[in-house]
Amino acid sequence: MRFFKAFKHALSMVMHSKLRSWLTILGIVIGVAAVIAIVSLGQTLQQTMNTQFDALGGDLLTLRAGASQAYGFGGGRPDGSGSTSSSATTKPIVIDKTDIQVLRGIPDILVINTQISGKADLYYVAKKGSGTVTGVDPATWYRISTTKMSDGRMLGPTDSNVIVIGGRIATSFFDTNLGVNQLITINDRLFRIVGILDDSSNSIYMPINTAYEILDDKTKDVYDTVIIKVRYEDQLDATIETITNKLSIKRHVFGKKADFTISSNKERQAQRAEMTSSLTTFLTAIAAVALLVGAVGIANSMFTSVLEKTKEIGIMKAIGARNTDILAMFLMNAGLIGFIGGGLGVIFGIFLSGFLPALMGDTAGMLTRFGSSGIGTSVNTILLTLGLSIILGMLSGAIPAYKASKLRPVDALRYE
Amino acid sequence: MKQKKGDVILRLKDVWKTYRMGEVDVHALRGITVDIMRGDFIAIIGASGSGKSTMMNLIGCLDIPTKGDVFLNSQNISHLSESDLASLRGKTIGFIFQQYNLIHSMTAFENVLLPLEFLEYDDAEAKKQAKEILTLVGLTDKMHHLPSQLSGGQQQRVSIARSLAGDPDIILADEPTGALDSVTGNEVLTMLHKLWKDKKKTIIMVTHDHNIAKYAHTKIELKDGKVMKISEVEK
Ligand SMILES: Nc1ncnc2c1ncn2[C@@H]1O[C@H](COP(=O)(O)OP(=O)(O)O)[C@@H](O)[C@H]1O
Ligand SMILES: [Mg+2]
Repeated sequence: MRFFKAFKHALSMVMHSKLRSWLTILGIVIGVAAVIAIVSLGQTLQQTMNTQFDALGGDLLTLRAGASQAYGFGGGRPDGSGSTSSSATTKPIVIDKTDIQVLRGIPDILVINTQISGKADLYYVAKKGSGTVTGVDPATWYRISTTKMSDGRMLGPTDSNVIVIGGRIATSFFDTNLGVNQLITINDRLFRIVGILDDSSNSIYMPINTAYEILDDKTKDVYDTVIIKVRYEDQLDATIETITNKLSIKRHVFGKKADFTISSNKERQAQRAEMTSSLTTFLTAIAAVALLVGAVGIANSMFTSVLEKTKEIGIMKAIGARNTDILAMFLMNAGLIGFIGGGLGVIFGIFLSGFLPALMGDTAGMLTRFGSSGIGTSVNTILLTLGLSIILGMLSGAIPAYKASKLRPVDALRYE
Repeated sequence: MKQKKGDVILRLKDVWKTYRMGEVDVHALRGITVDIMRGDFIAIIGASGSGKSTMMNLIGCLDIPTKGDVFLNSQNISHLSESDLASLRGKTIGFIFQQYNLIHSMTAFENVLLPLEFLEYDDAEAKKQAKEILTLVGLTDKMHHLPSQLSGGQQQRVSIARSLAGDPDIILADEPTGALDSVTGNEVLTMLHKLWKDKKKTIIMVTHDHNIAKYAHTKIELKDGKVMKISEVEK
C-alpha cells in the first residue's frame, strides 16, 4: 500500500475513533500545553534576565550592609537595621559616610554613588498609589545609570524637588501618560518630572538629600546601597578584594565574617540564571511526566484499538494487506494522535503562557517589569514539541502496531 | 499468465493441518489430496467440524499446512513468508465470507477500493474499476452507503464486488448464504454462477447444504478432515 493511502486510512481511523481516542488526545494536549507553557516561561525569564543584566554594566558593584546572602528572585535585600545576633543589641550595622571615605581612598574605584530607597505615597491629580522611591547622588548618578532616557534629562548636581521616572510610571501607573514638567506629589511634597527613562520600570529617582527629607526612618549620611563603578572591568575580582579588605579593617571585622556585602552584577547574573534554569528544569520535568502519562495513554488506547480492530485486521490481511501495511496504518494512527494532541496542546499552551505570570503572582515583578511584550513562545519550541509529540505517539504505538501487524489472518478472522 | 482452461490451478498434496489445543492435537485435516481445475465451480460440502473452513484457509493462502504441500498456479506456497502470502492472496484470490466481513467505517465503494489500494493500483484506475464492479453487482445507487445502511443481501453483494476487485483467478466463498434468507441467498448464488459462466472465474464455495451445492459443478465431500467423495453435480 502506498504511503499516502496508509496515511488516509490512519486519519480515517482517528476520525472514526471513539471517545476513548479523544480522551487519549486530551491527555497529550494537557502534557504538551504544560511543556509549552513552562518552556516559554523559562525562556522568557532567561531573556528578561539577560536584557536586564546586559543593560547594567559589568563594571558595577553593589555594596550593602549586612552579611552576605544569596540573591534570589526577591533580590534578598539586607535592610541594614542589624541582623546578626550579638551586635544587633549594641549598634545597628550600616554603611555610612565614614565607609565612603575609605572607598574614596581606593584608586581602582572610578565612581561612587550613594543611594537610599523606601516606600512612598504617590499622588497625581486625584489618583493615588504607592511606589518605591530611590534617592541617588545626583552628581554621579548619570555615570552609573545604564538606562537611556526616552525624554527629558537626568538628575543634575543642583536639583532638589525633581524626579526621573521609569517608563511604566510615565505610561500606565496613573492610568494616563505623564510628560516632562508635570507634577507628582510624593509623601506630601510636590515634584516636577524632568526625565523619563527608556524602560518599563516603576522606578522613581530623586536627589538623595531630598529623599532623606521625605522618606521615613532614614538617617542622614547612612546609605542603603552604594553603587561602585570600578576603573578596570577586567580586574573586577581584585578590586572587590581590595574593597573588602579596606572596609573590613575600617569596620573591625578583618578576619571575621564581614558585616557588609559586595555583589557584582556578573555574579548575580550567574546566580539568578542558575536559579531560573534549575526552576525551569524542575518544571519541565513535571511537564515531561505529564507528557509521559499522555504517552502511556496512547499506548493503552492503541492496545485496545488493536484488540477492537482484530477482525478488521484479519479482513484486511485476507484481501491482501501485508504486515507492513498494517504496521504503517497503526503507527501513523498513533503518530496522528500525537500530532493532533500536540497541535491542540501547543495552541492551549501558548494561551496558557499568557496567563502564567498572573497565575504565579508575577515573581518579583520580573516578567511585567521587563517582559513588556509578554511571554513569547518561540517557533523552535513549537516545532520541537510537535515533533516530540508525533515521535512519542509513534513510540507508544509501536508495540501495539507491531502486535497488530503480526496477527495471523486466520486467528484474526476468527476473532469476534 | 496463460489462461488455459483445463489445467490445475490448485493442488493439495497430502495436506495435514493440526491444531494444538492445550495438551491435545486436533487433526482438522488428515491427508487431503485434490486437484482443482482452472474454471471449475467447486462446492466443498461437509458437516460442521469436518474441516471445510480449515481447507478453505489453506486454499486461500491464509494459512500454511502442518504437513504436505499446497501448490497455487504450480507454486508451492507451503514455505512462503507471510508477506509473500499476502501479496499472492491480493493478486490471485478473492474472499467472500459468511458474515460479509466488510469494514464498518467505510462505504461500499471504499470497501471495494481497499484491495486495490493494497495492490497499489493507480488511483483513477482503481476508482473506475470499483465503480464498474459495483455496477455489475447492481449497487450503483448504493455505492456511498455504509454497510450498516445496507441489507444483508446488499452487503454480501458488496463483499462479492470486493472479492472481484483485484480481478483474481479464484473466488473463495465460505458459506456465502449462511446469513441470508433463501430468496436473497439464491440471488447471491445466481450471481456467483454468473461470474463463473461469464467471467470464467474459478469458484470454490464452502457449504453444509446439499441444495446450495447444486449451483456448483464439482462437489468435494469432506468428513472428519478427509475427502470422502469427489463428484460432478448432476443437474
Ligand atoms: N484455530 C483453531 N484452533 C483449534 N482448533 C481449530 C481451529 N480451527 C478449527 N479447529 C478445529 O478443527 C476442526 C475443523 O474445523 P473447521 O475447519 O472450522 O470445520 P468446519 O468449517 O467444517 O465447521 C474442528 O474440530 C475445529 O474445532
Ligand atoms: Mg466453517
